[in-house]
Amino acid sequence: MHLDIFEKPSESLWVKEIKMKRILFLSVLVTTCLLSAAPALSQDWKSLKEAFGNIRSVKADFVQKRFLQILTKPLVSEGKLFFYIPDSLRWEYLSPLRNVMLQKGNTIQVYNFIEGKWKPEMTQAVEARRMVLAEISQWFQGRFNESKTFRQDYSPGPPARVTMVPGEGTNKFIQRIEIVLSKRPGVIDWVEIEEPGGSRTLIEFRHVEINSSFSSEVFEKP
Amino acid sequence: MIRSRALDICLLGMLLLSTGCVPVSKTTLRPGSPEDLPGCYAVFPTEPWESVHRLEASIRGGTSSLLGVTKGEPSDRRLQSLLLTPEGFILFDAERRESGIAVRKAVAPFDSPAFARGLMEDVALLFLPPSSKPAGWRKETDGTMVCEWEGPDDSRTEVKGSMDTGWRIQRRDGYGKEIKEIVLNGPFINGLASRVELRAFKPTSYKIRMTLIQPSP
Repeated sequence: MHLDIFEKPSESLWVKEIKMKRILFLSVLVTTCLLSAAPALSQDWKSLKEAFGNIRSVKADFVQKRFLQILTKPLVSEGKLFFYIPDSLRWEYLSPLRNVMLQKGNTIQVYNFIEGKWKPEMTQAVEARRMVLAEISQWFQGRFNESKTFRQDYSPGPPARVTMVPGEGTNKFIQRIEIVLSKRPGVIDWVEIEEPGGSRTLIEFRHVEINSSFSSEVFEKP
Repeated sequence: MIRSRALDICLLGMLLLSTGCVPVSKTTLRPGSPEDLPGCYAVFPTEPWESVHRLEASIRGGTSSLLGVTKGEPSDRRLQSLLLTPEGFILFDAERRESGIAVRKAVAPFDSPAFARGLMEDVALLFLPPSSKPAGWRKETDGTMVCEWEGPDDSRTEVKGSMDTGWRIQRRDGYGKEIKEIVLNGPFINGLASRVELRAFKPTSYKIRMTLIQPSP
C-alpha cells in the first residue's frame, strides 16, 4: 500500500495554520463576549470602546457547532468561559472532550481530563495558546478597530451585527466572521466563523454574566 | 570436554533461536457452515457510515485526548479519518483506498508517514473485514462466532464474539505473535460499538480507548 501526501505545504505551514486558527478562534470568542456586554445596539466603535471600559469580568456558557465536510451532522461541544481583566481567562470544554485552558498573567496551563484525572497537556498547543492570549489583549481593551488582523464593520441592523474580514494571509485560514447581536441588550444570537473549503463554526453564548463575582481559583485550578 | 560442552551450548542456543523463527502452524479452523459465514462480518459496518469518537491514547507513558472522525464506504473499502483538537481544528486528515493512503493534512506530531500508515491500518482493522474469504469459521452453541483470515506474509486475523457479548479482533504476524488486539463492547449503535479499546504490541506499543459520541446516519 503506497502513501501520498496531498497539497504538501511545509510542515511549519500546517503548524502555523493551527496556531493561527486558534488565535483567531479565541480572539473571536472573547470579542463576542465583550460585545455581548455592550449596553445598547445603536453604537459606533467609539461608544463600544467606552462601554468596554466598564467591563471587569465575563462569565458565560457556550455551545459550539463545528460543521465539517466529512460529517452530515455538526460536531457539538459545550463549555464555560470565565474572564477577568486584564489577563485572566478560563476556557473550558465540558463535552464531548473535557479540556481546559487556564491563564493568569503570563502563566498558561492546559489540562485534559483523562481516566478520571486532570492531566497537563504536553504538546506545543500550550505555546499556540500563549500566542492566542497575546493577540486578544487588545480586544480586551475594546481596540477592535485597531486590529491588524481583521477589518471590522458594524451594522446597527436589525439584527445588529459585526462582520470581521481578515486581511491578506489570514484569509487562508478564516474567510469571514459574523457576530449577530440579539434585540435584547447584552445578548448575542450567534457567531459564525467561515473557513476556506466549506468548514464553519457556529457558537452560541448562553447565560452571559457581566461583572459578576467568582473565585480567582477558576484561573488557577482545572 | 570443555570444548564439547561449549559446542553443545552453542548448538542448543542455535536450536532455540531457530525454533523462535519457525512460523506457527496455519489456521486451526476449517470452513464451517455456509449459513454461518455472514456472522464473520457482523462486527463490520456494511453500509456507508460516519462516526465521532472521543480518543484517549497512551503512548510511551504519555496520554493525550483528541476527537476522531471517521467516514466509511464499505463497498469501495474506502475510509477517511480525521483527528481534531478539542476546539475542532484538524490535526490529521487522511483517506485510505485500495490503491493506497492519501494524507491531506498532518500537523506535528502526527506528520510522519509511519504514523499515517499505522493509524489507517488501525482504522481499517477496526472497520473493514479482510478482503479475502475467511480460511475457517465456526459458530459456538452460545452464538459466538470464531472466524480466521489468512493474510500476506502468513499474518492472520481472528474475529471472535457476538453482538450480545462484544467482539475481539486480533492480528498476529507470521510467527503467531500478537501484533494488535481490538476489543469492541456494546451497546452497538447503528452497528458501531459504543466502546472500543485498541492495543498495539509490535513494532510500537500503545493503547487507544475510543468512546462513540456521535454515530450517523
